Amino acid sequence: MSPEPISATLESLPRLTVRESVEPPQVGGLAEPAFSVQELEVSYRGKPALKDVTMDIAQREITSIIGPSGCGKSTLIRCFNRMNDLVPGASMKGRVLYHGEDIYAANVDPVAVRRRVGMVFQRPNPFPKSIRDNVAFGAKINGYRGNMDELVESCLRRAALWDEVKDELKKSALALSGGQQQRLCIARALAVEPDVILMDEPASALDPVSTTRIEDLMQELKRDYTIVIVTHNMQQAARVSDKAAFLYTEVDEAAHSRWGILVEYGDTKKIFTNPSDKRTEDYVSGRFG
Amino acid sequence: MRDTFVREMEMIDQDVVRMGALVEKAVEEANLALAENDRERAFRVMANDDQVDALFVSVEKQALAILAQQQPVARDLRLIITILRAVNELERTGDLAYNIAKVVVDGGELEPPRPLRTLIYELGEASIRIMGRAIDAWATKDLALATEISEMDDEIDSLYAELFCELVEVRSDTDFHTAMNLVLVGRWFERIADHAVNISEGIRYYITGDTELLG
Repeated sequence: MSPEPISATLESLPRLTVRESVEPPQVGGLAEPAFSVQELEVSYRGKPALKDVTMDIAQREITSIIGPSGCGKSTLIRCFNRMNDLVPGASMKGRVLYHGEDIYAANVDPVAVRRRVGMVFQRPNPFPKSIRDNVAFGAKINGYRGNMDELVESCLRRAALWDEVKDELKKSALALSGGQQQRLCIARALAVEPDVILMDEPASALDPVSTTRIEDLMQELKRDYTIVIVTHNMQQAARVSDKAAFLYTEVDEAAHSRWGILVEYGDTKKIFTNPSDKRTEDYVSGRFG
Repeated sequence: MRDTFVREMEMIDQDVVRMGALVEKAVEEANLALAENDRERAFRVMANDDQVDALFVSVEKQALAILAQQQPVARDLRLIITILRAVNELERTGDLAYNIAKVVVDGGELEPPRPLRTLIYELGEASIRIMGRAIDAWATKDLALATEISEMDDEIDSLYAELFCELVEVRSDTDFHTAMNLVLVGRWFERIADHAVNISEGIRYYITGDTELLG
C-alpha cells in the first residue's frame, strides 16, 4: 500500500483561523514536537557543512539557534522548510520529521512544506508593491477565497503593524521604515496560514526600538505558532527563546575541512546560567567566537 | 572588552575577600573585648564597622555596573549573584560584631560567672573559625572546603544549646540584665556561623550551578 502523500497530511493539519486569538497564552510547548531532526548532515558540493544534528523543536515555543559565524546555523534553519534545496550542490542525509512526516520524502512537494513553514529573512524584503498587496500576494497565489480585506487586516494586526499603516494600505511597502518592513514581511508570512515561522536574524538590520517590537511580537506569535530563530545576538536569544541550541565549528586541519555540530541544546535558562559544555560556557560568556 | 571585564570581575572578587578579612577581624576583636571586658577594644570594633559598610556599598555598586554594562551569563553571572549574596552576609556579620562590642561598651561592669564566660568565648571562637574557613573557601573557590563548612554548623548549635542550659542553672546568681545580654550574644555568634554557612553555599552554587543551594 502506498503511503498517503505528505501534502495531504500537511493539509489535514488543523488550519489556523484568521482572526484575533482569544485563547489564553499557551504555557510551554505541546507534547508532540513540531520537528524531529534525526542525524542530520548537510553538505555543499560534497563538503560537509553540518554533521550529526539530532534535536526536537517543540510546538508553540521559541527555539533559538546560536553559535559563531560559519557554524551552520543558517544551514540548519533552512532544512526546516527545504530552502537548502534551492542552493546548488546542497545535499543532505538523515531525516527532518514535521509532525512525524519526513519532509524530504520523495513524494513531498517543497512548496507545500514552505506554506506550512514560513520564513523571515535578515534583510526585510518586501515586494515593490503596496502594503496591502504584499500581504495579499501569497494568499492570492494559494487561491484564498475569503474576504481579502479581512485577511490583510488580521495579518497586519498580528504583526503589530495595523495601527501604523491602516490609513495608507495603498502606499508602497518600500516607503516603510526597516522595522515596519520587517513586520510587513512577518504579516506576509502569516497570510498563508503557516504553522511554523523561521526567522534568520530577523532583527540584525534593525535599530533597538524596532528590535524590541519584533521581540515583543515574537512573544505574541508563539501563542499560535512555533518559532525558530537564528541570532548572533546572545542577549536576544536569552531574552526571547524558550529553548536554545548552540552550534559550534569542528575543524579537520588535514582535510582543510570544517563543519558545524550541535554542542548543546536545552532550556535557554540553563544554557545562560549553567551550561553543561565548556564550549557553550565560553561562547555565551564571550570568551571566544 | 573581555579583558576589561575579567579585570573588573577580579577586582570585585578581591574586594569580597578584603571585606571578609575585615569582618573576621571584627568578630575576633569583639570576642576578645567581651572576654576581657575591654571597652576600648570594643569601641574600636564599633568604629571600624564603617569600613565594612563602605566596602559593602562599593561592591554592590560595582556589581550593579557589571550587570548593567557587561550582562554576564553562565559562570560570570553566577559569580556576580554569589558576590551580591556574600557581601550581604558579611555586612550582617559586621553588624553582629558591632552589637557584641556594644554590649561590652554599654555593659559597664558586666561580669558573668566563670563557666559562662568560657562557654561564650568558645562559642565566639567556633563562629570565628567557621567564618574564617568560609572566607578561605571564597578566596580559593574550593568546593570541598565549602562543602565541609556547610556541615560544620553542628558544633555551634550544640555550644549554643549548652549556653542555654548553663544560663538556666546559674540564673539565681546572674542578674537579669547580664543573662539577657548573654542570650543575645550567644544568639549573635550562632547567627554569624549561619552567615558563614550561607556564604559557603553561595560558593557551592557558583561552582556547581545547583540552584537548590540558593534556598
